[in-house]
Amino acid sequence: MENSNEKTNNIMLPVAVIIAGLIIGGAVIFTNNDSVVTEDNQPKEQVVENNSLDKVREVTSEDHIKGNPDAPIKIVEYSDFECPFCKSFHATMNQIMDEYGESGQVAWVYRQFPLEQLHPVKAVAEAVASECAAELGGNDGFWKFADRLFELTPSNNRTDIETVIPQIVKEIGLDEVAFNECLNSGKYNEHISADIQNAAETGGRGTPWSILISPDGNKYPINGGQPYSAVKQLIDLSLKEIK
Amino acid sequence: MHRTFIKVFKSPLYVFIAVIISLVVLFGALLLPNISLLINVISNSAISTLDLLKLIFNLLGSLKTNFTFVSATYTVLISILFGINTAIIVYYIRDYKSKLEKTGVTTSTFGIIAGAFGIGCASCGSLILTSFLSLLGIGGSLAFLPFGGQEFGFLGVILLTVSTYMLLKKLNKPNVCIALRNFLLSRYSNNELSLFN
Repeated sequence: MENSNEKTNNIMLPVAVIIAGLIIGGAVIFTNNDSVVTEDNQPKEQVVENNSLDKVREVTSEDHIKGNPDAPIKIVEYSDFECPFCKSFHATMNQIMDEYGESGQVAWVYRQFPLEQLHPVKAVAEAVASECAAELGGNDGFWKFADRLFELTPSNNRTDIETVIPQIVKEIGLDEVAFNECLNSGKYNEHISADIQNAAETGGRGTPWSILISPDGNKYPINGGQPYSAVKQLIDLSLKEIK
Repeated sequence: MHRTFIKVFKSPLYVFIAVIISLVVLFGALLLPNISLLINVISNSAISTLDLLKLIFNLLGSLKTNFTFVSATYTVLISILFGINTAIIVYYIRDYKSKLEKTGVTTSTFGIIAGAFGIGCASCGSLILTSFLSLLGIGGSLAFLPFGGQEFGFLGVILLTVSTYMLLKKLNKPNVCIALRNFLLSRYSNNELSLFN
Protein backbone atom coordinates (compact mmCIF):
# COMPACT_ATOMS: atom_id res chain seq x y z
CA MET A 1 0.00 0.00 0.00
CA GLU A 2 2.77 2.39 1.01
CA ASN A 3 4.72 1.41 -2.09
CA SER A 4 1.82 2.28 -4.35
CA ASN A 5 1.49 5.65 -2.56
CA GLU A 6 5.17 6.30 -3.07
CA LYS A 7 4.84 5.40 -6.73
CA THR A 8 1.93 7.81 -7.12
CA ASN A 9 3.89 10.53 -5.36
CA ASN A 10 6.93 9.95 -7.52
CA ILE A 11 4.82 10.23 -10.65
CA MET A 12 3.00 13.37 -9.47
CA LEU A 13 6.03 15.65 -9.53
CA PRO A 14 7.07 15.00 -13.13
CA VAL A 15 3.38 15.17 -14.05
CA ALA A 16 3.16 18.58 -12.36
CA VAL A 17 6.20 19.79 -14.26
CA ILE A 18 4.75 18.44 -17.53
CA ILE A 19 1.38 20.10 -16.84
CA ALA A 20 3.09 23.41 -16.07
CA GLY A 21 5.14 22.99 -19.26
CA LEU A 22 2.01 22.22 -21.27
CA ILE A 23 0.27 25.26 -19.82
CA ILE A 24 3.16 27.52 -20.75
CA GLY A 25 3.66 25.81 -24.14
CA GLY A 26 -0.06 25.98 -24.87
CA ALA A 27 -0.05 29.68 -24.07
CA VAL A 28 2.91 30.25 -26.39
CA ILE A 29 1.15 28.43 -29.23
CA PHE A 30 -2.14 30.14 -28.51
CA THR A 31 -0.43 33.53 -28.36
CA ASN A 32 0.49 33.07 -32.01
CA ASN A 33 -3.02 32.03 -32.98
CA ASP A 34 -5.47 34.10 -34.84
CA SER A 35 -8.56 35.28 -33.06
CA VAL A 36 -11.46 37.42 -34.01
CA VAL A 37 -13.50 39.95 -32.09
CA THR A 38 -17.22 39.91 -32.68
CA GLU A 39 -19.83 42.62 -32.38
CA ASP A 40 -19.96 42.23 -28.60
CA ASN A 41 -16.20 42.72 -28.46
CA GLN A 42 -15.58 39.13 -27.35
CA PRO A 43 -12.46 37.46 -28.67
CA LYS A 44 -13.36 34.16 -30.33
CA GLU A 45 -11.09 31.37 -31.44
CA GLN A 46 -10.52 31.07 -35.17
CA VAL A 47 -8.53 28.79 -37.46
CA VAL A 48 -4.78 29.25 -37.02
CA GLU A 49 -3.18 31.14 -39.87
CA ASN A 50 0.48 31.93 -40.13
CA ASN A 51 0.47 35.35 -41.71
CA SER A 52 -2.12 37.12 -39.59
CA LEU A 53 0.04 40.25 -39.54
CA ASP A 54 -0.48 40.59 -43.29
CA LYS A 55 -4.12 41.24 -42.54
CA VAL A 56 -3.29 44.67 -41.18
CA ARG A 57 -5.48 47.12 -43.08
CA GLU A 58 -3.56 49.28 -45.50
CA VAL A 59 -2.64 52.72 -44.17
CA THR A 60 -4.62 55.37 -46.03
CA SER A 61 -5.38 59.08 -45.72
CA GLU A 62 -8.45 58.04 -43.72
CA ASP A 63 -6.15 56.96 -40.88
CA HIS A 64 -4.98 59.14 -37.99
CA ILE A 65 -1.31 59.59 -38.84
CA LYS A 66 1.36 61.45 -36.89
CA GLY A 67 4.45 62.18 -38.96
CA ASN A 68 5.15 61.67 -42.64
CA PRO A 69 2.35 59.56 -44.19
CA ASP A 70 4.88 58.26 -46.74
CA ALA A 71 7.47 57.36 -44.10
CA PRO A 72 9.42 54.17 -44.82
CA ILE A 73 8.52 52.83 -41.39
CA LYS A 74 4.96 52.78 -40.15
CA ILE A 75 3.88 51.81 -36.66
CA VAL A 76 0.19 50.93 -36.59
CA GLU A 77 -1.09 51.00 -33.03
CA TYR A 78 -4.44 49.59 -31.88
CA SER A 79 -5.21 51.30 -28.60
CA ASP A 80 -7.73 51.83 -25.82
CA PHE A 81 -7.95 55.24 -24.11
CA GLU A 82 -8.73 53.59 -20.75
CA CYS A 83 -5.85 51.11 -20.77
CA PRO A 84 -2.99 52.19 -18.47
CA PHE A 85 -0.38 50.52 -20.65
CA CYS A 86 -1.71 52.40 -23.70
CA LYS A 87 -1.24 55.60 -21.74
CA SER A 88 2.43 54.81 -21.05
CA PHE A 89 2.96 53.53 -24.59
CA HIS A 90 1.43 56.75 -25.97
CA ALA A 91 4.18 58.68 -24.17
CA THR A 92 6.76 56.23 -25.55
CA MET A 93 5.46 56.73 -29.08
CA ASN A 94 5.51 60.51 -28.69
CA GLN A 95 9.16 60.18 -27.65
CA ILE A 96 9.79 58.01 -30.74
CA MET A 97 8.14 60.65 -32.96
CA ASP A 98 10.28 63.38 -31.38
CA GLU A 99 13.32 61.44 -32.54
CA TYR A 100 12.21 59.99 -35.89
CA GLY A 101 9.16 62.08 -36.84
CA GLU A 102 10.77 65.28 -38.06
CA SER A 103 13.16 63.45 -40.38
CA GLY A 104 10.14 61.71 -41.90
CA GLN A 105 11.47 58.23 -41.11
CA VAL A 106 8.56 57.03 -38.99
CA ALA A 107 4.78 57.44 -39.22
CA TRP A 108 2.56 56.58 -36.26
CA VAL A 109 -0.90 55.35 -37.16
CA TYR A 110 -3.54 55.27 -34.42
CA ARG A 111 -6.46 52.82 -34.62
CA GLN A 112 -9.22 52.08 -32.14
CA PHE A 113 -9.23 48.95 -29.96
CA PRO A 114 -11.48 49.78 -26.98
CA LEU A 115 -11.82 46.76 -24.68
CA GLU A 116 -15.48 47.01 -23.78
CA GLN A 117 -15.39 44.19 -21.23
CA LEU A 118 -12.50 45.65 -19.26
CA HIS A 119 -13.52 49.29 -19.64
CA PRO A 120 -17.28 49.30 -20.26
CA VAL A 121 -18.95 52.36 -21.82
CA LYS A 122 -16.06 54.77 -21.30
CA ALA A 123 -13.48 53.24 -23.66
CA VAL A 124 -15.92 53.17 -26.59
CA ALA A 125 -17.27 56.66 -25.74
CA GLU A 126 -13.73 58.04 -25.78
CA ALA A 127 -12.96 56.28 -29.06
CA VAL A 128 -16.09 57.86 -30.61
CA ALA A 129 -15.14 61.25 -29.16
CA SER A 130 -11.67 61.04 -30.71
CA GLU A 131 -13.21 60.25 -34.11
CA CYS A 132 -15.50 63.28 -33.72
CA ALA A 133 -12.45 65.39 -32.83
CA ALA A 134 -10.85 64.19 -36.08
CA GLU A 135 -13.99 65.03 -38.06
CA LEU A 136 -14.18 68.56 -36.69
CA GLY A 137 -10.50 69.34 -36.16
CA GLY A 138 -8.82 67.23 -38.83
CA ASN A 139 -5.74 65.07 -38.22
CA ASP A 140 -4.28 67.69 -35.86
CA GLY A 141 -7.56 67.81 -33.95
CA PHE A 142 -7.43 64.06 -33.45
CA TRP A 143 -3.87 64.06 -32.10
CA LYS A 144 -4.45 67.05 -29.84
CA PHE A 145 -7.54 65.31 -28.45
CA ALA A 146 -5.77 61.95 -28.03
CA ASP A 147 -2.65 63.45 -26.40
CA ARG A 148 -4.74 65.48 -23.96
CA LEU A 149 -7.10 62.61 -23.17
CA PHE A 150 -4.24 60.27 -22.30
CA GLU A 151 -2.74 63.08 -20.23
CA LEU A 152 -5.93 63.61 -18.23
CA THR A 153 -7.32 60.09 -17.94
CA PRO A 154 -6.47 58.10 -14.80
CA SER A 155 -7.11 54.86 -16.85
CA ASN A 156 -8.90 51.67 -15.81
CA ASN A 157 -12.35 53.13 -16.44
CA ARG A 158 -11.95 55.81 -13.80
CA THR A 159 -12.21 58.80 -16.15
CA ASP A 160 -15.08 61.21 -15.59
CA ILE A 161 -15.91 61.43 -19.29
CA GLU A 162 -18.79 63.86 -18.71
CA THR A 163 -16.25 66.43 -17.49
CA VAL A 164 -13.02 65.54 -19.26
CA ILE A 165 -14.28 65.26 -22.86
CA PRO A 166 -16.09 68.66 -22.91
CA GLN A 167 -13.03 70.22 -21.24
CA ILE A 168 -10.71 68.96 -24.01
CA VAL A 169 -13.19 69.96 -26.74
CA LYS A 170 -13.16 73.50 -25.34
CA GLU A 171 -9.36 73.53 -24.91
CA ILE A 172 -8.61 72.53 -28.49
CA GLY A 173 -11.27 74.86 -29.87
CA LEU A 174 -13.77 72.47 -31.46
CA ASP A 175 -17.37 73.44 -32.16
CA GLU A 176 -19.11 72.08 -29.05
CA VAL A 177 -22.58 71.81 -30.58
CA ALA A 178 -21.33 69.99 -33.66
CA PHE A 179 -19.19 67.77 -31.43
CA ASN A 180 -22.17 66.73 -29.31
CA GLU A 181 -24.23 66.05 -32.41
CA CYS A 182 -21.44 63.87 -33.73
CA LEU A 183 -21.16 62.02 -30.39
CA ASN A 184 -24.85 61.17 -30.38
CA SER A 185 -25.11 60.29 -34.06
CA GLY A 186 -23.54 56.83 -33.75
CA LYS A 187 -21.88 57.33 -37.15
CA TYR A 188 -18.48 56.03 -36.00
CA ASN A 189 -19.69 52.81 -34.39
CA GLU A 190 -19.08 50.83 -37.55
CA HIS A 191 -15.64 52.36 -38.08
CA ILE A 192 -14.59 51.49 -34.52
CA SER A 193 -15.93 47.93 -34.90
CA ALA A 194 -13.88 47.61 -38.11
CA ASP A 195 -10.74 48.72 -36.25
CA ILE A 196 -11.43 46.22 -33.45
CA GLN A 197 -12.01 43.49 -35.99
CA ASN A 198 -8.76 44.31 -37.79
CA ALA A 199 -6.82 44.36 -34.52
CA ALA A 200 -8.09 40.88 -33.71
CA GLU A 201 -7.48 39.56 -37.23
CA THR A 202 -3.85 40.62 -36.99
CA GLY A 203 -3.45 38.77 -33.68
CA GLY A 204 -4.20 41.54 -31.18
CA ARG A 205 -5.61 40.14 -27.95
CA GLY A 206 -4.86 42.98 -25.57
CA THR A 207 -3.86 46.60 -25.71
CA PRO A 208 -1.76 48.30 -26.80
CA TRP A 209 -1.21 46.13 -29.86
CA SER A 210 1.13 47.53 -32.50
CA ILE A 211 2.60 46.39 -35.78
CA LEU A 212 5.80 47.89 -37.12
CA ILE A 213 5.92 47.79 -40.93
CA SER A 214 9.48 48.05 -42.23
CA PRO A 215 10.58 49.54 -45.59
CA ASP A 216 10.78 46.01 -47.07
CA GLY A 217 7.31 45.22 -45.81
CA ASN A 218 8.46 43.04 -42.91
CA LYS A 219 5.98 43.20 -40.06
CA TYR A 220 6.95 43.06 -36.40
CA PRO A 221 4.23 42.66 -33.76
CA ILE A 222 4.70 44.67 -30.56
CA ASN A 223 2.48 43.32 -27.80
CA GLY A 224 1.82 45.58 -24.82
CA GLY A 225 3.51 48.74 -23.63
CA GLN A 226 7.06 47.80 -24.51
CA PRO A 227 9.92 50.08 -23.45
CA TYR A 228 11.27 52.90 -25.62
CA SER A 229 14.61 51.09 -26.06
CA ALA A 230 12.91 48.04 -27.63
CA VAL A 231 10.80 50.11 -30.06
CA LYS A 232 13.81 52.26 -30.96
CA GLN A 233 15.92 49.17 -31.65
CA LEU A 234 13.26 47.72 -33.96
CA ILE A 235 13.14 51.04 -35.86
CA ASP A 236 16.92 51.16 -36.16
CA LEU A 237 17.01 47.56 -37.42
CA SER A 238 14.30 48.36 -39.97
CA LEU A 239 16.10 51.51 -41.13
CA LYS A 240 19.04 49.30 -42.14
CA GLU A 241 16.78 47.92 -44.89
CA ILE A 242 17.00 51.29 -46.69
CA LYS A 243 19.95 51.21 -49.07
CA MET B 1 13.77 25.51 9.41
CA HIS B 2 16.23 28.18 8.33
CA ARG B 3 19.10 25.81 9.14
CA THR B 4 17.76 23.34 6.60
CA PHE B 5 17.41 26.16 4.11
CA ILE B 6 21.04 27.17 4.69
CA LYS B 7 22.09 23.51 4.49
CA VAL B 8 20.54 23.17 1.03
CA PHE B 9 21.82 26.46 -0.33
CA LYS B 10 25.31 26.12 1.15
CA SER B 11 26.02 24.07 -1.93
CA PRO B 12 26.71 26.26 -5.00
CA LEU B 13 24.94 23.66 -7.18
CA TYR B 14 21.55 24.36 -5.58
CA VAL B 15 22.10 28.12 -5.62
CA PHE B 16 22.90 27.75 -9.32
CA ILE B 17 19.75 25.67 -9.95
CA ALA B 18 17.57 28.17 -8.05
CA VAL B 19 19.04 31.18 -9.87
CA ILE B 20 18.82 29.58 -13.32
CA ILE B 21 15.24 28.36 -12.84
CA SER B 22 14.19 31.75 -11.39
CA LEU B 23 15.70 33.60 -14.36
CA VAL B 24 14.15 31.20 -16.89
CA VAL B 25 10.71 31.68 -15.34
CA LEU B 26 11.10 35.47 -15.07
CA PHE B 27 12.47 35.86 -18.61
CA GLY B 28 9.71 33.58 -19.86
CA ALA B 29 7.06 35.77 -18.19
CA LEU B 30 8.58 38.91 -19.69
CA LEU B 31 9.25 37.56 -23.16
CA LEU B 32 6.18 35.35 -23.70
CA PRO B 33 3.93 38.27 -24.73
CA ASN B 34 6.38 39.06 -27.51
CA ILE B 35 7.23 35.55 -28.62
CA SER B 36 5.76 36.32 -32.08
CA LEU B 37 8.05 39.33 -32.39
CA LEU B 38 11.08 37.24 -31.42
CA ILE B 39 10.11 34.52 -33.92
CA ASN B 40 9.80 37.18 -36.66
CA VAL B 41 13.19 38.63 -35.75
CA ILE B 42 14.86 35.20 -35.59
CA SER B 43 13.44 34.27 -38.99
CA ASN B 44 14.87 37.46 -40.54
CA SER B 45 18.36 36.44 -41.66
CA ALA B 46 19.42 40.09 -41.98
CA ILE B 47 19.22 40.51 -38.21
CA SER B 48 22.32 39.35 -36.35
CA THR B 49 22.38 37.26 -33.20
CA LEU B 50 23.89 40.20 -31.33
CA ASP B 51 20.93 42.38 -32.35
CA LEU B 52 18.56 39.61 -31.28
CA LEU B 53 20.24 39.44 -27.86
CA LYS B 54 20.05 43.24 -27.56
CA LEU B 55 16.33 43.11 -28.40
CA ILE B 56 15.75 40.40 -25.77
CA PHE B 57 17.58 42.57 -23.23
CA ASN B 58 15.51 45.62 -24.22
CA LEU B 59 12.24 43.66 -23.98
CA LEU B 60 13.12 42.69 -20.40
CA GLY B 61 12.52 46.36 -19.60
CA SER B 62 8.81 45.61 -20.00
CA LEU B 63 8.82 44.66 -16.30
CA LYS B 64 8.69 48.42 -15.73
CA THR B 65 6.47 49.48 -18.63
CA ASN B 66 4.07 46.58 -19.10
CA PHE B 67 3.43 45.48 -15.51
CA THR B 68 1.72 47.20 -12.63
CA PHE B 69 3.63 47.40 -9.35
CA VAL B 70 1.52 44.56 -7.92
CA SER B 71 1.83 42.26 -10.93
CA ALA B 72 5.57 42.96 -11.24
CA THR B 73 5.97 42.10 -7.55
CA TYR B 74 4.16 38.76 -7.69
CA THR B 75 5.78 37.82 -11.01
CA VAL B 76 9.25 38.32 -9.49
CA LEU B 77 8.17 36.50 -6.29
CA ILE B 78 6.75 33.54 -8.22
CA SER B 79 9.96 33.30 -10.26
CA ILE B 80 12.16 33.31 -7.15
CA LEU B 81 9.94 30.83 -5.27
CA PHE B 82 9.74 28.61 -8.35
CA GLY B 83 13.56 28.50 -8.45
CA ILE B 84 13.92 27.84 -4.71
CA ASN B 85 11.20 25.20 -4.80
CA THR B 86 12.78 23.39 -7.72
CA ALA B 87 16.25 23.47 -6.13
CA ILE B 88 14.89 21.98 -2.89
CA ILE B 89 13.03 19.26 -4.80
CA VAL B 90 16.22 18.38 -6.69
CA TYR B 91 18.15 18.34 -3.40
CA TYR B 92 15.54 16.12 -1.86
CA ILE B 93 15.46 13.62 -4.70
CA ARG B 94 19.18 13.71 -5.50
CA ASP B 95 20.88 13.92 -2.14
CA TYR B 96 18.26 12.53 0.14
CA LYS B 97 17.60 9.42 -1.95
CA SER B 98 14.11 9.67 -0.68
CA LYS B 99 10.54 9.92 -1.86
CA LEU B 100 8.46 12.99 -1.33
CA GLU B 101 5.48 12.69 0.91
CA LYS B 102 2.07 13.20 -0.58
CA THR B 103 1.43 16.59 1.04
CA GLY B 104 4.71 18.02 -0.20
CA VAL B 105 4.17 16.77 -3.74
CA THR B 106 0.56 17.91 -3.87
CA THR B 107 1.41 21.40 -2.67
CA SER B 108 4.33 21.58 -5.08
CA THR B 109 2.03 20.45 -7.88
CA PHE B 110 -0.58 23.11 -7.15
CA GLY B 111 2.10 25.70 -6.46
CA ILE B 112 3.82 25.11 -9.79
CA ILE B 113 0.53 25.08 -11.73
CA ALA B 114 -0.95 28.12 -9.97
CA GLY B 115 2.36 29.91 -10.39
CA ALA B 116 2.35 29.14 -14.11
CA PHE B 117 -1.20 30.49 -14.40
CA GLY B 118 -0.45 33.61 -12.39
CA ILE B 119 2.60 34.58 -14.38
CA GLY B 120 2.12 36.76 -17.38
CA CYS B 121 1.98 40.11 -19.00
CA ALA B 122 -0.04 42.50 -16.92
CA SER B 123 -1.25 44.40 -19.93
CA CYS B 124 -4.88 43.67 -19.27
CA GLY B 125 -4.58 40.30 -17.53
CA SER B 126 -2.56 37.15 -16.98
CA LEU B 127 -1.21 35.95 -20.33
CA ILE B 128 -1.49 32.22 -19.78
CA LEU B 129 -4.81 32.37 -18.01
CA THR B 130 -6.25 34.72 -20.62
CA SER B 131 -5.04 32.42 -23.38
CA PHE B 132 -6.71 29.41 -21.87
CA LEU B 133 -9.97 31.14 -21.05
CA SER B 134 -10.05 32.59 -24.57
CA LEU B 135 -9.53 29.08 -25.88
CA LEU B 136 -12.67 28.14 -24.00
CA GLY B 137 -14.40 31.23 -25.36
CA ILE B 138 -14.74 32.84 -21.94
CA GLY B 139 -11.77 35.21 -22.04
CA GLY B 140 -13.90 38.11 -20.85
CA SER B 141 -14.83 36.30 -17.66
CA LEU B 142 -11.60 37.54 -16.07
CA ALA B 143 -13.08 41.02 -16.04
CA PHE B 144 -15.60 39.79 -13.47
CA LEU B 145 -12.90 38.75 -10.99
CA PRO B 146 -12.17 41.48 -8.43
CA PHE B 147 -8.50 41.64 -9.43
CA GLY B 148 -8.95 40.73 -13.11
CA GLY B 149 -7.17 37.36 -12.84
CA GLN B 150 -4.33 38.56 -10.63
CA GLU B 151 -5.84 36.29 -7.99
CA PHE B 152 -3.93 33.42 -9.61
CA GLY B 153 -0.68 35.32 -9.13
CA PHE B 154 -1.41 35.76 -5.40
CA LEU B 155 -2.44 32.09 -5.18
CA GLY B 156 0.80 31.05 -6.90
CA VAL B 157 2.88 33.00 -4.37
CA ILE B 158 0.98 31.50 -1.42
CA LEU B 159 1.11 27.90 -2.69
CA LEU B 160 4.78 28.09 -3.64
CA THR B 161 5.59 29.54 -0.19
CA VAL B 162 3.61 26.78 1.55
CA SER B 163 5.22 24.19 -0.72
CA THR B 164 8.75 25.46 0.08
CA TYR B 165 7.91 25.48 3.80
CA MET B 166 6.57 21.91 3.68
CA LEU B 167 9.56 20.64 1.73
CA LEU B 168 11.93 22.22 4.24
CA LYS B 169 9.88 20.76 7.08
CA LYS B 170 10.08 17.35 5.45
CA LEU B 171 13.84 17.71 5.11
CA ASN B 172 13.99 18.28 8.85
CA LYS B 173 12.71 14.74 9.39
CA PRO B 174 15.42 12.32 8.35
CA ASN B 175 14.04 9.40 6.39
CA VAL B 176 15.94 6.86 8.47
CA CYS B 177 13.83 7.81 11.49
CA ILE B 178 10.64 7.25 9.53
CA ALA B 179 11.94 3.83 8.50
CA LEU B 180 12.82 3.04 12.12
CA ARG B 181 9.43 4.29 13.30
CA ASN B 182 7.68 2.14 10.67
CA PHE B 183 9.78 -0.83 11.71
CA LEU B 184 8.94 -0.29 15.37
CA LEU B 185 5.27 0.19 14.58
CA SER B 186 5.23 -3.15 12.80
CA ARG B 187 6.51 -4.79 15.99
CA TYR B 188 4.84 -2.78 18.74
CA SER B 189 1.53 -1.03 19.20
CA ASN B 190 1.24 2.77 19.42
CA ASN B 191 0.62 2.49 23.17
CA GLU B 192 3.76 0.47 23.69
CA LEU B 193 5.77 2.90 21.63
CA SER B 194 4.49 5.87 23.60
CA LEU B 195 6.24 4.40 26.66
CA PHE B 196 9.56 5.28 24.99
CA ASN B 197 8.62 8.96 24.74
